[in-house]
Amino acid sequence: MSQNPYMPKLAKIIQIKVEVSGERPIKTFRTQFMNKNEFSFRSGQAAMVSVFGKGESMFSISSSPLTKDYLQFSILKMGRVTSSLHEMEKGDIMGIRGPYGNGFPLEEWKGKNLIFIGGGIGLAPIWSVLQTALGKKEDYKDLTLFYGARSSNDLIFKKELEELKDKIKVSLSIDVEEPEWDEFVGFVPQNVTDKKPSPENTIAITCGPPIMIKFVIKALKELEFNDDQIYTTVENKMKCGIGKCGRCNIGSHYVCKDGPVYTWAELKKLPQEY
Amino acid sequence: MDKILKKNSLSQWIKKLESYTIYAPVKKDQVWEYEIMESPDNIELDYPNTVLSPKKIIFPQREVFLEFNRSDENDLEIKEILPEEKPTIVFGVRPCDARALTITDKVFRSDIKDIYYSKKREQTTLVGLACNTPPSPHCFCTSVGGNPYSKEGLDILMTDLGDRYYIESITEKGYKLINSAKNLFTQPKTEDKKALEKNRTESKKKIQQQIKDIDKIPPKLNQMFDSPFWDEQSLGCIRCGICTYICPTCHCFDISDEITSTFPLQGKRIRTWDTCQFPSFTMHSSGHNPRPDRASRLRQRVFHKFQYFVERYQEYMCIGCGRCVDQCPVGINIIEILKKVRDYESKSLHAKTS
Amino acid sequence: MVNLQDLKKEVQKILKEGKIKYFIGYEKREDEPFAKPSFIKKPEDVEKLTWNPTCVHNLARFLVFEKRRKASEKEPDERPVGIMVKGCDSRAINVLIQEKFINREDVYIIGVSCENTGVIDEKKLSKKLKNKQAQKIDFGEKDNFVVTTNDGKMKVPSKEILADNCLECKTNYPVVYDVFLGEKIERKPEDPFESIKKIESLSPKEKYNFWKEQIDKCIRCYACRSVCPMCYCDECVVDSIELSVTAETTADEKAKKIIWTEKSPVSSENFTYHLVRAIHMAGRCVDCGECERVCPVDIPIRLLNKKLEKEVVELFDYEAGFDSDRPPLLSSFKEKDPQEFIR
Repeated sequence: MSQNPYMPKLAKIIQIKVEVSGERPIKTFRTQFMNKNEFSFRSGQAAMVSVFGKGESMFSISSSPLTKDYLQFSILKMGRVTSSLHEMEKGDIMGIRGPYGNGFPLEEWKGKNLIFIGGGIGLAPIWSVLQTALGKKEDYKDLTLFYGARSSNDLIFKKELEELKDKIKVSLSIDVEEPEWDEFVGFVPQNVTDKKPSPENTIAITCGPPIMIKFVIKALKELEFNDDQIYTTVENKMKCGIGKCGRCNIGSHYVCKDGPVYTWAELKKLPQEY
Repeated sequence: MDKILKKNSLSQWIKKLESYTIYAPVKKDQVWEYEIMESPDNIELDYPNTVLSPKKIIFPQREVFLEFNRSDENDLEIKEILPEEKPTIVFGVRPCDARALTITDKVFRSDIKDIYYSKKREQTTLVGLACNTPPSPHCFCTSVGGNPYSKEGLDILMTDLGDRYYIESITEKGYKLINSAKNLFTQPKTEDKKALEKNRTESKKKIQQQIKDIDKIPPKLNQMFDSPFWDEQSLGCIRCGICTYICPTCHCFDISDEITSTFPLQGKRIRTWDTCQFPSFTMHSSGHNPRPDRASRLRQRVFHKFQYFVERYQEYMCIGCGRCVDQCPVGINIIEILKKVRDYESKSLHAKTS
Repeated sequence: MVNLQDLKKEVQKILKEGKIKYFIGYEKREDEPFAKPSFIKKPEDVEKLTWNPTCVHNLARFLVFEKRRKASEKEPDERPVGIMVKGCDSRAINVLIQEKFINREDVYIIGVSCENTGVIDEKKLSKKLKNKQAQKIDFGEKDNFVVTTNDGKMKVPSKEILADNCLECKTNYPVVYDVFLGEKIERKPEDPFESIKKIESLSPKEKYNFWKEQIDKCIRCYACRSVCPMCYCDECVVDSIELSVTAETTADEKAKKIIWTEKSPVSSENFTYHLVRAIHMAGRCVDCGECERVCPVDIPIRLLNKKLEKEVVELFDYEAGFDSDRPPLLSSFKEKDPQEFIR
């Protein structure tokens, strides 16, 4: 077995689901490695997905490590590689290498309340850690999910969210009013401020567009969360995934290796350059 | 192990090393570069600095990782391309350029090992040449932890003593080379050792550029991240990328797919050098760019070399070769920038007590 | 002779009057006798300005950065930028105006005449001085330079160390300006296309071999592109991402971007880059010589552009940068334009 970190393993697409259609389409891909191999990962880690002939892109793994049958990615069509992925069909072959990054430290959160705050495609990395926590529900106290998007069409995992409402507290929001929407209308940070979650024995995990993260952290600070109670993932352009090519560095950190999961306490210390 | 080699025996020694691929400094038109040596009789070791450092032999500008091939609709094959077995020697390596390799080693050979770099590094023997005079008027190796006769990263160090070389073998790889032509070497005498001492003292004195109190710079930089200092210093920058491409310690790269045929799909995945000085380096697909202007990119270069790398590895990511100062088309001088950083006084940095 | 004090006085005046935002000129480098671009904002800083034979840079390049900076500001300062130009540089500004990249009102031009000489080639100078270090280089009498070294002053005939493009100069004094310094002394070379004669006489195979050897040296640092005032495209052929991408650009638009050249520094891609760039510069290049000067591996890039300049003169009787009102060459058509290539 070659120890070449740049060599991807081939994987087949076994299922494609359209989450969001329209101008900013999002699809969820379930993939299986063509040759059986051990691919263990922690929630919050990501993998480099190759579309041969186009390039590679880093995506968070949105399935839980407890799921062994497939690896799931939710991908927003943004540029060259993602457009190519969106044109792929069931049975097409891609390359996967990884897992990269530090992942969420679930073991440190045992016995605490967990609040997940996601926006748009940011629900994908959260989904992995949420499902893992659900799978070991006895280890944690209350689980809550705040999730929002521009419109009801832009929400991902629509069906799964409905099923989730039976298990944990779920609070959805959309930016602008719609005729049949009876939940919160406004931005995700506003929803958080509205519902006033308590910081007592709680960890907050947030993922989404950089501007949303900025205001969510502000909202959480106003609710008296400490800097080390707030976790987030940082997105940066990545190429090698192993902390060598220098593209994703923020200060002395390589986001692909030392991150992408950071507490606000850690992130504050890095140069504000992302 | 110390030896003496007469200058006129140099080409005979090289002839004994036929089984290796040998690189040496070669002059093409006006420019010196490391190229595969054509004839051992023409080897010239009396040269000013090359434009590109020997980094390009171990970390080439283009490297193939894998080939992909879709022979029919559902069948995609990928073939790993590994670096070939090619024992190599590089002659005439400046001590600073060898130190640069120990610095890039820290990135490429730590944690997850980069096997392309590692393999080439292991099969390359570096024969260094001490600098009797600074190869560049902008040499400042002594300010960043180096000196004209440093042995770091080298397998053999040669010092030019006029009609002969003083040879110091440093590693097993170096010893092997000397062993292959044992009879050409003699034992150093006392006067050789004295000449070496004298040479060392004098070559160090000849370094004109110094940055005093350089250790004040990393903590000072920490306070200067948001300073308008970078706007002023980068006004002349034309963001060409020369400084990073010729720098022996710069190692950022890009990975891309090159298609040689669309139907059937065939191509290669390659790695090429890249530079943080290009605006597209950090540009996200969405158009958002964390380093949108020349100021932030110049700041990144200085910080990476003199603050971030120091924080992570306790070493400067600069060997003081002065190439970037020699080649910058608009006279941006990192030595001057560092001195200005060291002496920078501003109300925003500290409160004056008066 | 251009009087440096006159220059300093003029710049100080317009800065004090607030007529310009800042002034782009030349100042001496800290450690060497050579000049580098200078950006003067405060009137008292005009003392830094210099004018000597090492002022090789084409400062028109910085007008491109100025335009980009202005575009990103919310409330931009609408005053012009002051700039100091030589003959060739002024033609570059004319091309930028002609292509409507900038307006004439955006620049306040102080034109400086090269008179009997021009600017020097650093490499020719060090070859001439051999082991001596130059401490100062000045304009001398008639067509000489005065070089000061440790051993004192020496007179060097300009022909020996003039930059290659100065030897074929078409305009040794600015053709567009608000203020003119120096004397309008005409200095036209006998043959403005002397440098390409040798290559033109080679057979096609020899030409290819010559260029292959040169272009194989290319490390694709893109310094030639970065220093040229006319290479201002956000959507350059060689980039894999367009710098003009915004949040509104659709994924399909980004996905459809054609990769014309790969990043690999191999013969085929290097040739594509250099030849495409030369063709994009046809009818626009003013032969300021910067592209060749900045090349770290000494590729004679200027010769490619010079050849196309000759073609443009012969086919269309057109020279770039003399008339900013005239429509650009490749976007205009005259009935008498040669049509033999249309078969």
